[in-house]
Amino acid sequence: MLEKKIKANVTLLLSVLALLVLIFAPFFLADYHLSILRTVLLWLALTVSWHFFSGLTKYVSLGSAGFFGLGAYFTAKYLELSYRGYFPLLPMPLIVLLAGLLNFALASAIGLVTLRVKSIYFAILTFGISEMLRNIFQWWEIRITGTRGTYLPILFDSGTIYYSILITTLAVFVLTTILRKSKFGLALKMIGGCEETALHVGVNATLFKTMSFGASAMCIGFMGGCFTTRFAYINTDIAFDPLFSFLPAVMTLLGGAWTIYGPIAGAVLLSLLEEYLRVAYPYHFLAIIGFLLILIIMFMPNGLMGIVEKFKGKFSKERINP
Amino acid sequence: MIDVIIGGAILGAIFSLIAVGLNLQYGVTRILNVAHGEFLMLGAYVTNIFFSYYGLNPLISLVMSGPVVFILGILIQALIFRKIVSISKSAEELEFRSLLACFGLLFVIQNMVRAVFGAMPISNTYLTEAIFIFGERFQINMIASAIMSVAISIVLYLLLCSTKIGLALRAVVEEPIGAQLVGVNVQKIHSLSFGLSVLLAAIAGTMVSMIYTNINPYIGPQYTFIALAIIVLGGLGSFIGSLAGGFIIGYIYYLTLKIEPLMVMAIIYLFLIVFLISRPRGLFGR
Repeated sequence: MLEKKIKANVTLLLSVLALLVLIFAPFFLADYHLSILRTVLLWLALTVSWHFFSGLTKYVSLGSAGFFGLGAYFTAKYLELSYRGYFPLLPMPLIVLLAGLLNFALASAIGLVTLRVKSIYFAILTFGISEMLRNIFQWWEIRITGTRGTYLPILFDSGTIYYSILITTLAVFVLTTILRKSKFGLALKMIGGCEETALHVGVNATLFKTMSFGASAMCIGFMGGCFTTRFAYINTDIAFDPLFSFLPAVMTLLGGAWTIYGPIAGAVLLSLLEEYLRVAYPYHFLAIIGFLLILIIMFMPNGLMGIVEKFKGKFSKERINP
Repeated sequence: MIDVIIGGAILGAIFSLIAVGLNLQYGVTRILNVAHGEFLMLGAYVTNIFFSYYGLNPLISLVMSGPVVFILGILIQALIFRKIVSISKSAEELEFRSLLACFGLLFVIQNMVRAVFGAMPISNTYLTEAIFIFGERFQINMIASAIMSVAISIVLYLLLCSTKIGLALRAVVEEPIGAQLVGVNVQKIHSLSFGLSVLLAAIAGTMVSMIYTNINPYIGPQYTFIALAIIVLGGLGSFIGSLAGGFIIGYIYYLTLKIEPLMVMAIIYLFLIVFLISRPRGLFGR
């Protein structure tokens, strides 16, 4: 009991410390390091949002890029059109919120139809939807508006970009944590464990799956929306980059999917590595990422947290049976 | 009209060749190789390079590169996927892990080809003379590659139906455990199916390189998803389904290309999505 209490206090202390460091980071970090930090935060939030749906229910979605792109595109287009006077210029957080809600509506509608498709088919389906969205946007740009991409009329300084991403990341964290710890999260875990059993004890699986798919997409849309602040120009290839679909899944796998610390550890580690590789080997970094992906899948079946648990188990066993 | 009938059929013949390989391999191993299109792209590159540097007939270079590609497929299965099979605890976990590993493979192949050959599109000029069918102009290479594709599909079908190895392959598709019980070496069949599917993809790549002039490192995923749409349409594990589905998608592709070229892939994805939701077993599946 006491040990548990100490553990909880240590966790709380560490989180508060991390939060303070994150809040004051712009005062002691150079712009370049700040940009790395915000990329890490972005991947962290994306992975946590992905894990909230796919990690808990075991329905693997590869459609994050679609939702990220939709959030980013909505925000970019809204900014552009309001600058030209078609729409009233709303404060940025409100636009991002709208982008998230749009995603929630779309994802719930998609989820309602698609969430009876299980396992690998669901992964293919979501990937197809994301690629189709990208295609439709591309067609719309070329044929209807006659442009390629969008130039953002309003530019933000690095501090604003950083704080908007930090605040959104925190919001995503708080939202998913509250939901995960509630009855809602319990139902999701049960669906992930065994959907049949969940149905038998009276969990409305369709409703919960759809809602959590929607909530996860909404969080991804928030991130897409606030991440547009860092661009001066955005097109479908940037916004709907398939990496936004894969990396959250890989980061979760790298960390270990059964605990929330897994995705966090995986996201921080892999995004730092990705950022380093992108700078060090700009032409080969995708090949290296692909190679790493294969190695992670082959040699780390339980992820980083699996290794941690293994060591813990070893130590405690030694303590019990010397 | 004639142009749609023949143009669609040419595409259909090649698409079904791509889909047959992927279907066979997925049916046997339950590993969805999304890097299938990447092997097609490799095949197209090898053919083009042999042709433009040594003037080698694409159909002859196929005979030379075929065994190499076949062994490459077997090696990839042995080095990567055997290990993933052994660490996966359930069929679902295996499918998910191998799917991600295949995406990794896709990135590796795509970017290695780009690093070696650059991102500029390449093309060859083999048999570009024109031929007139009912007044419509076609290049001979298109007709030739379509006929070759159909011929290879038929040969493969005959092999699957009449040889012992073909029987073993079909047995593993239908009843993996039962096949093992009656003495089929499932491990060997898995390697074989991987090698065969990669080989078929490379052959299809040769055909594609004869038809299209913009072979670049990024053409792969497009063909993978066309093949996936065909498999979903025709039914998993159904050879005839893949053939028929290939022609259906071929015609849809060609028609969309005529009406609105920018929407081609969106329509293919739409088909994939609609069929996955409404009829996951496909038109010809059991």
